[in-house]
Amino acid sequence: MTDDASAVRARAASVLEAGALLSSSTIEERAHWLAEAATSLTHHAHEGRDALSEATGLSIPMIEWATRTTLGTMTENAMLALTQDARKAIDRAPDPIAMLSVILAGNVFTASVRGIVVPLLFGVPVLVKASSKETMFPAMLRDALRSADSRLGTAMSLVAFPGGDIEREAALVESAEAVSVYGSDETVSAMAARIGDIPLVAHGHGVSVAYCGAAALDDAHIESTIERLSLDICAYDQRGCLSPQLVYVEDTPHRSATDFAERLAERGLGPMSRTLPRGPLPVSVGAAQAQWRGIAEVEGALLRGDTFAVSIHAAEPIRWSPGFRNVTLVPVRGLDEALRAMQPIGANLKCVGADPASISAVQTRLARSPTLSAYACTLGAMQTPPLGAPADGHPIWHGLFRSPKTS
Amino acid sequence: MTTRAELKARIEALIATFEAGQPVDAAARDGLIEDLAAWQARRIPEYGRLQRHGAWPPALPTDVFRFRRIAAHPEEEDLRVFRSSGTTSSERSIHVYCDLDLYDVSARAAARHMLFPDVDKMRLVILAPHEDEAPDSSLEYMLARFADWFGTECTWVWRRDALDLELLTERLRQAEASGDPVAVLGTSFAFVHAEDGLGEQRFELPPGSRVMQTGGYKGRSREVDPDILLAAIGARYGVAAPRIINEFGATELSSQMYETTLREELDGPLGPRRLWVPPWVRATPVDPDTLQPVQGETIGILRIDDTANLDSVCCIQTADLAQRLHDGIVVLGRAPGATPRGCSIAADQALGAQ
Repeated sequence: MTDDASAVRARAASVLEAGALLSSSTIEERAHWLAEAATSLTHHAHEGRDALSEATGLSIPMIEWATRTTLGTMTENAMLALTQDARKAIDRAPDPIAMLSVILAGNVFTASVRGIVVPLLFGVPVLVKASSKETMFPAMLRDALRSADSRLGTAMSLVAFPGGDIEREAALVESAEAVSVYGSDETVSAMAARIGDIPLVAHGHGVSVAYCGAAALDDAHIESTIERLSLDICAYDQRGCLSPQLVYVEDTPHRSATDFAERLAERGLGPMSRTLPRGPLPVSVGAAQAQWRGIAEVEGALLRGDTFAVSIHAAEPIRWSPGFRNVTLVPVRGLDEALRAMQPIGANLKCVGADPASISAVQTRLARSPTLSAYACTLGAMQTPPLGAPADGHPIWHGLFRSPKTS
Repeated sequence: MTTRAELKARIEALIATFEAGQPVDAAARDGLIEDLAAWQARRIPEYGRLQRHGAWPPALPTDVFRFRRIAAHPEEEDLRVFRSSGTTSSERSIHVYCDLDLYDVSARAAARHMLFPDVDKMRLVILAPHEDEAPDSSLEYMLARFADWFGTECTWVWRRDALDLELLTERLRQAEASGDPVAVLGTSFAFVHAEDGLGEQRFELPPGSRVMQTGGYKGRSREVDPDILLAAIGARYGVAAPRIINEFGATELSSQMYETTLREELDGPLGPRRLWVPPWVRATPVDPDTLQPVQGETIGILRIDDTANLDSVCCIQTADLAQRLHDGIVVLGRAPGATPRGCSIAADQALGAQ
């Protein structure tokens, strides 16, 4: 499927028009419709799991897990709570923009959900450009919205065309009051240069890390820590910006990083490669993987599994993995050292997963940090952010409401 | 205990066997690779840390050459340092040599067999900087040796970081007038610069002429699809496609591979374009997960075991995608980025940020 500029323009016009009808509905109605759509989409994604697996390169169990956990966040209660949070935060009656254009990335297929559902919840119609790599799930979401309610369905439309097509990108954004872009920093910069005065909500390059403090490594907690961390690493085959690439591990006399790495490989990533198998490795990623693994062996230590690898490496220099379940453990003396090591990542750091005993300290320290805007969550939940979790240092509703000056 | 001298003698003997027209025993080559790898692992700590998987010695990733000195000899014995092109130090591989004998023997034998099999010497026109202008480039070093070994006269038309179009035109017109064949050798980006600068000029180089192009672009010119560049070079210089030969080399290697087309035009029959692998080299597409050889023509990542890499590491894991084709190899290019689907910071960016 590919749309020319006139088709994109026509879709934009129809979405804009549908916005008026959508805004005549109540928040409660929209929350109800969206929750119904989520239920319907869960069912259809299950039925289409083979095709989704083929389209995304993820294994079927991973498709099932991803749709279940993502769509499970779209409950009526969660949506109503989100709207209350937004009202409190902006301290006035929200004035939704007339239309949002969204450009999706292709790395995590369910990432489209929050980017589309939240605007609709607030009464903002959405014109979505799907990634050329992955159009299937956004199309399923569109169909689910249509089946839930016609007003909701017509307020979201999907277009597809190759990225970088200036004429079609112009048609995509010219009617929008804001543009939300997921993708590489290059994609975001290119769009920023083209859209002029239209506000841009950027979701560019990002990486995430995890922190395991000493309390998470003692005999009482180690199994739980490994289980949660393994899920964070394996989810979406570590292809997303919420996937931990580095795990800072407090090195204690009781538990060395090497011991932790061995347990992670044997008791965590190994078993999970059977319950949530990795998808096929693209050969281009495989080339990067071979380089990364080799460097890890040369510079530190490496434990290889059939479809994963754990390296142990000093905090500096940072060596980013190609994803696909290649993770680095960084021994540190404690949270202070871990946070210092995160500083160079700056605004690219999206999420810090922390063990339950450390989460509070991590949240406090991140909130005070002048350079890091990542949000913190407990291990095991890095890839399943709640509907209202912040994104890129902003509330999830960022960009959806007019400011008082312009309203 | 194997000594360096013994290993060097075995490598030289292998290449000499080939040069003498005798068949090279693949088992002898493989045994030499084993012995080399063992000797190197004892002397190069970085290589010694790699774990063996499967039947072959481990292969050192090319990226390691970007941030570590990989050598079996101390730094004070460095005779020559080759660096790959790139704008920052972290992008540039470094390959040090304490002895260039094997590089020379290997380069001469391969080029003689694939590039100059039908002539002793001929005129050379080189679209690359002279060795004096780029002393740390292995390509420029090789081309300078080609001038010594295969050139009756040699003109370097890439001067002070620019292509001298006037001189190039003059030399090619001279060749046309004299009827003496000429070999035009250069980098792909230099040929693109020539395409962009020569306008409507066309040449009809004398029979026996040939073109060797090598290397990528690395931002030094617009990028051109290989098939389009091949056709453009053929049309520009009046050289038939089989006589336009791609060379595959790398800073991390001491041996080169050449396309088979010229040899096949001379010896027949003409097969598909592919790289000939010198018999003292083992080039193998491997599975990126297992690092074991792939079956048939499956695309893998290219591992090259180059016995001429005596004083660094023989077994090299490149990041190039490749597949077997008949008796040769087709290199499909560098894998496009470390995280093509993700929103993660690209590995190169992070490495550059060190």
